[in-house]
Amino acid sequence: MAEEGFLEVENLEAIITRIEQKSRKIESLLKQSKPVEALKTALEGSPLKTRDERCKSANWIVVHRAMMAIKDVDAMFSSLDPEYYDILMKYLYRGLATGDRPTCDQCLRIHEKLTERAGLGCILRSLADTVNTV
Amino acid sequence: MAAVEIHQFAECITCHAWSPDQSMIAFCPNNTEVHIYKLLADKWEKVHVLYKHDQIISGIDWSVNSNKIVTVSHDRNSYVWSQEASEWVPTLVILRLNRAALCVQWSPKENKFAVGSGAKTVCICYYEQENNWWVSKLIRKKHNSSVTSVAWHPNNVLLATTSTDGKCRVFCTFIKGVDKRDLGEGSSNDLKFGEQIAQLDLSVTWAFGVRWSPSGNTLAYTGHNSMVYFIDDVESSPSAQTLALRDLPLRDILFLSERVVIGVGFDCNPMVFTADETGLWSFVRYLDERKVAPTSSKGSQFSEALGKLYGQSKQSTSNDTVEPSKFRGGAHANCITCIVLLRRSAATTVKRFSTSGLDGKIVIWELDNSIDIQQPGYR
Repeated sequence: MAEEGFLEVENLEAIITRIEQKSRKIESLLKQSKPVEALKTALEGSPLKTRDERCKSANWIVVHRAMMAIKDVDAMFSSLDPEYYDILMKYLYRGLATGDRPTCDQCLRIHEKLTERAGLGCILRSLADTVNTV
Repeated sequence: MAAVEIHQFAECITCHAWSPDQSMIAFCPNNTEVHIYKLLADKWEKVHVLYKHDQIISGIDWSVNSNKIVTVSHDRNSYVWSQEASEWVPTLVILRLNRAALCVQWSPKENKFAVGSGAKTVCICYYEQENNWWVSKLIRKKHNSSVTSVAWHPNNVLLATTSTDGKCRVFCTFIKGVDKRDLGEGSSNDLKFGEQIAQLDLSVTWAFGVRWSPSGNTLAYTGHNSMVYFIDDVESSPSAQTLALRDLPLRDILFLSERVVIGVGFDCNPMVFTADETGLWSFVRYLDERKVAPTSSKGSQFSEALGKLYGQSKQSTSNDTVEPSKFRGGAHANCITCIVLLRRSAATTVKRFSTSGLDGKIVIWELDNSIDIQQPGYR
C-alpha cells in the first residue's frame, strides 16, 4: 500500500504529460480521419489505479474528444478489438454521468452496440469494479 | 438432452444435499427447516422435516461414509444430525460466531467440517470423543469480509475460501489428534492450524463458489464481475487464468473432472468450461437450450437471423414448434445458487449433477463427457 502511494506521487506529473502527448496524437489522427485509431489511443494506458481526479478528468477529456468524433458506430466496432470493450464501457458510464445531452446521445448509441457485442458481463465488470476506475 | 429431471419442491431453495446412496435429498425451502424427500414408487415424498434452527438455513452437507447431515444457519449455530432408528437426532455445535454462518462442507475424511461466516471468520469443527462434543476452532485472521464459500482439498488439511473482500485464500487446517502428519510430499507437513498458504488477489469485487479439482491440482472460483478464475499449483507456484464471461456472473461451480467445470449463476443456465491439452480454459457452451425470447425482442441483426431460423423450422415441420417453445424459459427460472455432484458407482462416462436456485426447483442434469461437451451450442 505504501509503495502504491509513493508511485502515485512520483508519477502524477508523468501521467499528465503522457495524457497531453496522447491528446496531440489523437488530434493528428482525427485530422487524418482515423477516429477509431484515435479512440484506441485514448483508451490505451488510462490511469485506472490512481485516485487522483485530475488525471482521471484529463484522460476523460481525451477519451470524450475521440468518442464524439465517431460517426459510424458499426464501422467502429468492426475495427475495435474486444480487449478495449471493458474500458470503453467504463467511459460510457462516465459519459452518461455527465448528463450532457450530446455526450449522452453518443454514449447511448455506442452502449447499445457494445452491449450487443460484449454482453451483460461487460456491463457488470464496469459496474462492479471499484478498484480500476475511470 | 441435458436436463433429465425437474422438480418444483418449494418457492425458493437456499441449498441442497444428497444422501450417500442418492435416494434422498435434503434442502432448505428458504426458511428454518430442512426437508428430506425420498423417491418412493416413482414419486418424491417428504419423509422428514428437521427443525431446530431459528433462522434461514444457509448451508447443508450430507457426509457420504458416516451418513451425517450438517446444517448451518443465519442463527449462528450449526447442527450435526445423525440417524437413529427412523429419526434424525441433532447435536448442537456452538460455532462461537457473532454473525450468520453462510456455508458448510464436510472434509473428505469426514472427521472435520468447515463453516464460512459473515463474521469474517472460518470455523473448523471436529469431534472430541472424550467429551462427546463437536468443537469449533476459528481462523480469525486474514478475511476482511464475509466468507462466501469453503472448499476442502482432497488431502483433508488444506481449505480454500472465497470472500466478499474479493480474495481467495488457502489455509492449513491441521488439528493435532485429528489429522496425521502423513500427507506425503513436502510443503504442507510442517504448517500450523490457521496458517495462510496462499492469497489470490484476482477479483476486484465479491468472490464466490470456490472448488478444487478432484486431484487438488487446480483451484477455481468466480467473481461477481462475470469472471471465472482458474489457478494451477496453488501451494507451490500459482499460475492463474482469468476468463471474462459474456453474460451474468456465476454463483457456484463444480469440477466434473480435471478438465471440465460447470458454472451456475444469475444466467439460470449452467455453463460448461473445459481445459485443452495445454491447460487453457475456455467457455464451451450453455447446457440448457438458450432462451429465444429475450434476444428476439432486441431487434438486432443476430436475433433477426435467429428469428428467421426459428420461423423456418416452424414452417417445415409442425413437431418442431413445440420443442423450442417448451424450453423458452429454460429449466431454471431464477438464479442458480447451488450445484452438487451426484456420485455413481458404475464406471460410466455420463456425469450427473443437480442444481437448485431461487426459483425453488431442483434440476438433475446429465452430461456425457465424451460427446456432449463438444457439441456446438448456441452462443
